[in-house]
Amino acid sequence: MTRASVVGASMTTFGVHETTLTELFAEAALGAFDDAGVGPDDVDALYFGNAMGGQTENDTHLAPKAASQVGLAGVPCQRYEDACATSSNAFKNAVEAVEAGVHDTVLVGGVERCTPETGLGTGEMTRIFASASDRYYEQPTGLTFPGVFALLTKRHMHEHGTTAEQLAHVAVKNHANGQLNPNAHFGKETTVADVLESPVIADPFHLMDCCPFSDGASAVLVTSDDRADSFDDPVDVQGVGHATDIVPLSAKAVPHATQAARDAASQAYEQAGASADEMDFAEVHDCFTGAEVMASEAIGFFEDGEGGPAAEEGRTRIDGDRPINPSGGLKAKGHPIGATGTGQIVELTEQLRGNVGERQVEGAERAVAHNLGGDAATTVVSVMGVRR
Amino acid sequence: MSLTHEAWADALRDGDLLGVACADCGATYGTPFAVCNDCGGRDVETTDLPTEGEVYTETTIQVPPVDFEGPYQVGMVQVGSARVTARLEGDGEAVEIGDRVVLDGVVESGGEPAPVFRTATDGE
Repeated sequence: MTRASVVGASMTTFGVHETTLTELFAEAALGAFDDAGVGPDDVDALYFGNAMGGQTENDTHLAPKAASQVGLAGVPCQRYEDACATSSNAFKNAVEAVEAGVHDTVLVGGVERCTPETGLGTGEMTRIFASASDRYYEQPTGLTFPGVFALLTKRHMHEHGTTAEQLAHVAVKNHANGQLNPNAHFGKETTVADVLESPVIADPFHLMDCCPFSDGASAVLVTSDDRADSFDDPVDVQGVGHATDIVPLSAKAVPHATQAARDAASQAYEQAGASADEMDFAEVHDCFTGAEVMASEAIGFFEDGEGGPAAEEGRTRIDGDRPINPSGGLKAKGHPIGATGTGQIVELTEQLRGNVGERQVEGAERAVAHNLGGDAATTVVSVMGVRR
Repeated sequence: MSLTHEAWADALRDGDLLGVACADCGATYGTPFAVCNDCGGRDVETTDLPTEGEVYTETTIQVPPVDFEGPYQVGMVQVGSARVTARLEGDGEAVEIGDRVVLDGVVESGGEPAPVFRTATDGE
């Protein structure tokens, strides 16, 4: 079934940007307007994501600021903050709003700056990212976000025999895909040995197992099913699942199961009337290589414990049987926190339109996006498909 | 009122590890919650957790946030039927999953304590 449709999609390059947050957002938003062939008068609301502007740039209440920059002053604006799942939650709420008839067409997007353009160095930004972990029962230990996913991944390795080499294959694959994406922060030919020889950040993760700090913005226009046919190239939203899990990590029954992702994926597949086997590819939240392995199991692409071997065997490459992160993923495309969720929706839209050139998943008709935030406590999973 | 953070922190500084146990379903947590997340019960009682346990997972932080000096080891420790996140000290060697560890003080950051668990030696 169709819950809503994406009729415009655009993103900035993910990388280093000198422009302000609202200028950066405007670049993506105007791209989405142009892609859909609409102007501000056609847009009824802004659903906006920014996770950390208050901490990084002393910039809050950003939704009306962003709206003003793109001629939307006056429309209802709402800002979402769910750590790394920020703008996918904005997307979920926008889909619900047009489905319910609250609005006809809405602009959804996100923006973030995480590079030293903010004036903040690695230690300061590491501290700000760690604010999404538990304030009292995790932060005082000095746990970082590489550390959070290292804890989950080490247990996954212990339970399932996942190896550092298998993790490195995820990085090699996503870097290779990033080369084919002109909007990607990084992308290069690299090897498992290169990954394993890079400096350790939080074992088992080496530098090349980790996504970069990125600046960037992404935006999509969402409209109702019955209005979508009046646009040139709509792509349907068939399901959006959203689940949370207990914080802190120590209270989770099986931390490396990333239960919120399993719950959100079940919801999304049920809404879409489809199974994981019917997804032609996935964009998943590979903030660290281990996160991609766990996500690939949580969304049902592989049985538990098979995510690592699948990466090693090349099954998740663009030409594999279960492609994951053809965009390069967070690992290579980049991870501007508040822009990442709708960035995945941009990739699904462009892939399902058949518009992405060399990184095209051949014949893709249905795909799934998995966006995870903070201590694996928020996950939004979206299923999109070619409009019939 | 169920266990507060302040009471949890004060006890930890005194060498005691407090958690909460649900009187209705028996679920036990290593950190305070006002309501049981397993059954929704509000009869959540403060309980003493063992101060010796087994490392459930661990990592060594090489790139710390500001105000921390790396490298240091962080992990989750299984203490009875609950887990806590803690600093790990291995007396010169990294602590590994499955190792027995005992509570041995706290580290403080910004006025908040974190438990420190050290590799258990024979007889502890």
